[in-house]
Amino acid sequence: MTTQTTPVLEARDVTMRFGGLTAVRSVDFTVNSGEIVGLIGPNGAGKTTFFNCLTGLYVPTEGKVSYKGTVLPPKPHLVTQAGIARTFQNIRLFANMTVLENVLVGRHTRTKEGLWSALLRGPGFKKAEKASEDRSMELLDFIGLAHKRDHLARNLPYGEQRKLEIARALASEPGLLLLDEPTAGMNPQETRATEELVFAIRDQGIAILLIEHDMRFVFNLSDRVAVLVQGEKLVEGTPQVVQADERVVAAYLGTPFEGAPGADEVAEVEAAEADADTATPTATADSTTSTRGESQ
Amino acid sequence: MNTLPQQLANGLLLGSMYGLIAIGYTMVYGIVQLINFAHGEIFMTGGFGALTVYLALPSGTSMWALVPLMLIGGAIVAVLIAVGAERFAYRPLRGAPRLAPLITAIGLSLALQEVVRNFYPDADRARAFPGLDNTHDIGSVTIKDADIFLILAAITCMAFLALFISRSRTGRAMQATAQDPDTAQLMGIDTNRIIVIAFAIGGLFAAVASVAYGLKYGNIDYRMGFLMGLKAFTAAVLGGIGNIYGAMLGGLVLGVAETLASAYIDGIPGMEQLGGASWANVWAFALLILVLLFRPQGLLGERVADRA
Amino acid sequence: MTEILTKTDPATRGLVPLPHAAARVLLLAGGAATAASAFLAWTWTSAFPGDLTINGYPGGLQWLTFTAGILTVLFALARYGTPGLGWLSPTGNNAPVVLSALGALGTTWFTVIAIATDLGGLTNLEPGAYVAAVASLLPLLAALALPQQGAGEQTAKETLGHYIAKAERIPAPRATAPWIQRLVITAVTIIGLATFTYGIDTEYGELFIGYLFVVVFTLWALHTAGLVDRFSALVAGNRSFTLAMGFAAAIAFPFTQTDDHYANIGVNILIFGTVALGLNIVVGLAGLLDLGYVAFLGVGAYTAALVSGSEFSTFSGVQFPFWAAALSGAAASLIFGVLIGAPTLRLRGDYLAIVTLGFGEIFRIAVNNLDGDSGPDLTNGPNGIPAIPDLSFFGYNFGESHDIAGFTLGRFANYYLLMVLIMAIVVLVYTRAADSRIGRSWIAIREDETAATAMGINGFRVKLVAFALGASLAGLAGTVSAHVTYSVVPNPYQFAGSTPPNSAFLLAAVVLGGMGTVAGPLLGAALLYLLPEKLVFLQDKSLLAFGIALVLLMRFRPEGIIANRRRQLEFHETGQLDVPDTTTLTDQPAVTKTGA
Repeated sequence: MTTQTTPVLEARDVTMRFGGLTAVRSVDFTVNSGEIVGLIGPNGAGKTTFFNCLTGLYVPTEGKVSYKGTVLPPKPHLVTQAGIARTFQNIRLFANMTVLENVLVGRHTRTKEGLWSALLRGPGFKKAEKASEDRSMELLDFIGLAHKRDHLARNLPYGEQRKLEIARALASEPGLLLLDEPTAGMNPQETRATEELVFAIRDQGIAILLIEHDMRFVFNLSDRVAVLVQGEKLVEGTPQVVQADERVVAAYLGTPFEGAPGADEVAEVEAAEADADTATPTATADSTTSTRGESQ
Repeated sequence: MNTLPQQLANGLLLGSMYGLIAIGYTMVYGIVQLINFAHGEIFMTGGFGALTVYLALPSGTSMWALVPLMLIGGAIVAVLIAVGAERFAYRPLRGAPRLAPLITAIGLSLALQEVVRNFYPDADRARAFPGLDNTHDIGSVTIKDADIFLILAAITCMAFLALFISRSRTGRAMQATAQDPDTAQLMGIDTNRIIVIAFAIGGLFAAVASVAYGLKYGNIDYRMGFLMGLKAFTAAVLGGIGNIYGAMLGGLVLGVAETLASAYIDGIPGMEQLGGASWANVWAFALLILVLLFRPQGLLGERVADRA
Repeated sequence: MTEILTKTDPATRGLVPLPHAAARVLLLAGGAATAASAFLAWTWTSAFPGDLTINGYPGGLQWLTFTAGILTVLFALARYGTPGLGWLSPTGNNAPVVLSALGALGTTWFTVIAIATDLGGLTNLEPGAYVAAVASLLPLLAALALPQQGAGEQTAKETLGHYIAKAERIPAPRATAPWIQRLVITAVTIIGLATFTYGIDTEYGELFIGYLFVVVFTLWALHTAGLVDRFSALVAGNRSFTLAMGFAAAIAFPFTQTDDHYANIGVNILIFGTVALGLNIVVGLAGLLDLGYVAFLGVGAYTAALVSGSEFSTFSGVQFPFWAAALSGAAASLIFGVLIGAPTLRLRGDYLAIVTLGFGEIFRIAVNNLDGDSGPDLTNGPNGIPAIPDLSFFGYNFGESHDIAGFTLGRFANYYLLMVLIMAIVVLVYTRAADSRIGRSWIAIREDETAATAMGINGFRVKLVAFALGASLAGLAGTVSAHVTYSVVPNPYQFAGSTPPNSAFLLAAVVLGGMGTVAGPLLGAALLYLLPEKLVFLQDKSLLAFGIALVLLMRFRPEGIIANRRRQLEFHETGQLDVPDTTTLTDQPAVTKTGA
């Protein structure tokens, strides 16, 4: 399958401010169809805030995000309807619904039988329910949970819960799948399995954007990687390029480097501290901005 | 008598009572996101507590001695019930789905009303409460001694609260808990104790409002908590839930709006029949709905812990 | 707590120190004696209702003692493994016998004590009463002497707890042919109907209390025996049949009554039960706390009254046929539901509670005020709209008695049957809505609104549908209630009042009965209506009881009596005993809870 370069997601100049705090600053970002793009950065870099701008949870203070050429609607459920699906950093399954029911809920946007249809139970209803169930079972087959269709989601082991979340997201037939730390808490085998799953999803024609901390996972999978530091995009390129860039390493370790985002504020604070005649300046000088509003 | 300044004064007085009660709702909601439905009944039991003290003291005792003693009596009852409710009804349900503590609160509210009605002597009709009825005329406005008490009490309470919240360690701890309970706990704050204090302060202020109510209207009734409580919560939302200054401000605004509506709506052509006391409550709720529609965060903005 | 009861383990002993053989004999003898004591005279005067004065002819409460005694004997025989009765005690645990004995003890001692207190002194008791009192103690003592695992090592309290505990695993029953299953369901339905009818027909409070003792303890005993679970499984496999049976029983009820008064109770239970079921959609399925629900009932009732042709109605020239009135009532409530829901469902759920509470009050105040004086005359103010004419379908006038196949159906019986039809509709709506795309979206929203929204569910729209649907069902029930009560007045439609309907009552019915189930709210409504009705001394305290019940329920059994499995799991976070809370990093398959 040839990789087309039609952009599926375009974020132009996205800035997100919360009161006095700028969590995301002028980020340009593109995901093309058939691509797997990774988004990495140290904690507090603004990844989740940026993510939330892509899912309708936040409306960017400046800039815009478009999906397949149309600007994203400001409501999460409309974004999903448009074709962007997501998983959550802390698993948010419907714990007391079965595996199958979870995926069926994922089908919600692609079905339209409402209350009247449910009450009258015409042939259209039955057909639609059957179709939803069939499609959901297909997805469960795809991720390997078909044999547990009637298990309660809360009873699944952790790795399977993650897979279920992905299946649920896929149920809405997205063109772009956003995965928020999909391998958090996984052992190496589970991580390998997830890698293969992500490749398989890509092979179905769905573009994927990942936030991750597991570097090997990200670099194995991604066609391109972007690095977010202090709300700004520091570097973007192929995994090899990004891996080799010293600034990325430095950003993660917290050591100061040339052209680091937020360097001006750092300099100001240092100057103020020197003036105030306090004890020795601390070694890590760029950890002064507070990170309220983000959970990274 | 029914001049605009008089109506305004009436509205502000009514509003201060709402405000005092609203503080209880808003403090609790700000920290634990629970509408303490029973708070109206805590207000009511405070009044009955004060009444009991009054009845226990020899008649002829001077009001100067009576009022403080009644306040103490009412406060003890109200605070005990408030703290008891938190400890035995709400605390076990901290992690439960939201519906559970709400339903518990409703049950508690019902139970308290009925306990008073069934077991307090003669409580199934309004019981007389000593009143401070001496009137004073200030310009075109007439107020009673009871109103002066209310004003002084409200100001004192607000001042105390403001100082407490901003200056004392516990007050700051309370602010921290209201913003982010988990982090507050990590910082070593005993959030359970903070929550108990919030309930206690709420109960205390409700008791003050209750004594003021009794002194002003000359009677208390086991049902008085229901409506006052509902309106006080409206006031809390109006001012910005979780925001203690908002609670008092919301109370004052609601009191004035309700009083003016009762007095003047029937002057508006087409609405002749919609004025007066019988519609006052309807206008209060209508105000609530409007606020929720157009400014759900209230006048001064909400201060609720982020639990997402 | 994974002990397996071994009947042959000689090391286990009972709480009460009696040799095993003696205990077993005493149990049987005590049960039989309890039953027999019902044939003695317990008092010499007929001042105590039920006529317990004649030797050889049990009356009133004595029959209850008799029943309890017989049940104890049966459970005991089952416990001993008597062939043919094994099905009564599939796990052979002590609980059914202990509980049954407790029930017998409870009702007998209650009767004896009631006689003494009502008539003023122990002298009013005949020797027969003392015999009964002693006889009913024996089975309990004997039951507690039966071997119970761990009786020696634990505290008495813990041991007692084990005595009444349900076994951990109920062995699956042998597979039976469908027709046998249906036979069982039919039999249970008939017994259920008979029991329910007996309960409604109790003429005096003491009988009702004794009845409650026996019923509650017997049900508890059946539950601990595992039979309730087995029956649930049976029902799950024969759903439509069970529903049909249920409705057949409901329809049969008025034919069993000789007095229309009880049909009145029945129709009220149905109306409130139906309304509670509507509230169940809002609270139980979608998780929206509506505290002013009774206002929707009121809107329906008033709408029906206005178009009923009553001369007091503002539109007295108009008389809609019933179907039109019902539709209008439902539509009016629907409109109000949307009006109230639209602004508030966008906000956090707590606000909905307050706003609905406020709306409930506004409704009552407004309706009270629209009397031409304080407002335009729409509802005739505090006097309401009386003299609502009875319904009449195709010449069948609901207001008159009719004789059908030898049975007399009075006025209330007629309305009762109409309500059965309406309730059938509501049950249908409920079950169909719950098991569909929209039902799933309600549950998803209730479980985790953020995740649900991320799945593309429009939270606001879905909630509004639930809210409006609930409102219109209440309105529908309201139209019938207007005709049943001849008149509509503003007073009952409050948040909390001494008589149903009121919002607190409805909420308590849903919560007590079991949120999210079909039978739950119906059971809750029945219980909450019957208790104050039958136990007159409770009437004054019924609201107090509701309040306390709500607090205790939320603390100890928030899922209510008939637990919806899902809700039970929601409320008891660590309800899954077989899966640890912490996650596993291996792909060990976890234990499942299939088919529950």
